[in-house]
Amino acid sequence: MSVRSFAEVTVGEELPQLRRVVEREDVKDYADAGRDQNPLHQDDDFARRVGFDGIIAHGMFTMGHMAACVSEWAGDPEAVVKIGGQFRAPVAVGEEIVTGGTVRRVDPEARTATLETWVSVTRADGTVDMPLKRGEAVVRLG
Amino acid sequence: MNAASEGKVYPAVEVEVDARRLKDFRAVFDQAEGVPPTFVTTIEYLAFAQVVDDEELGLDFARVVHGAQEFVHRRPVREGETVTATIRIDSIRAIGDNGFIVVVTDIVDEEGNLVCVAKSTMVERGSV
Repeated sequence: MSVRSFAEVTVGEELPQLRRVVEREDVKDYADAGRDQNPLHQDDDFARRVGFDGIIAHGMFTMGHMAACVSEWAGDPEAVVKIGGQFRAPVAVGEEIVTGGTVRRVDPEARTATLETWVSVTRADGTVDMPLKRGEAVVRLG
Repeated sequence: MNAASEGKVYPAVEVEVDARRLKDFRAVFDQAEGVPPTFVTTIEYLAFAQVVDDEELGLDFARVVHGAQEFVHRRPVREGETVTATIRIDSIRAIGDNGFIVVVTDIVDEEGNLVCVAKSTMVERGSV
């Protein structure tokens, strides 16, 4: 793995976007790997009882997808020293999530870049929602 | 939720960083190598289970959704090491019908050095 060099990074630079259709098996695989067996993510009847149309992806699945986008840009997942965001809308099975970001600041002394990141989803009726807002990541560059 | 639980610190939970789990976690996100920056959630979750099970707090987990999450890493966790996760309730507040609980988990290595701080906001929805 080779970490992106500080010299290559410019403020305002956009990260290559990463798209993914969320399949039921992906949500199950995340539940197992991530240890979160909440039935909201596996049992459609349960999800309907608590107000959703069916199971939804874990917030941490959505953030993990965003983290993959940042990691690929960074060149090494371990260069991502901070990551976070707010979950604002559910993601249903079969929907496509898109994640991206923008370099907002660079710190030449610390050799870090601070990114603003996001995840969007386009609903069946064409509405665009933001499952993850106010995303932020800090990358330690080479 | 019982607002008097604000500030409560739960017992530390020991967690071994399991190579198989790390591999499975990477696979979900098509990542070939390294420790994904959100992997620590798998460690935090074991500490968080105490919060879910805390009758004195009275969080109704069936109504809970994840509101926000943040990880600040001092270094990545390493395969095979044992870390301890100590979770505390940072704040509890009500906004409209919803209850917001913020929990902070310190992940510390065998030498006592801080590895990562994970901060989660959980939302207990008032009307579902």
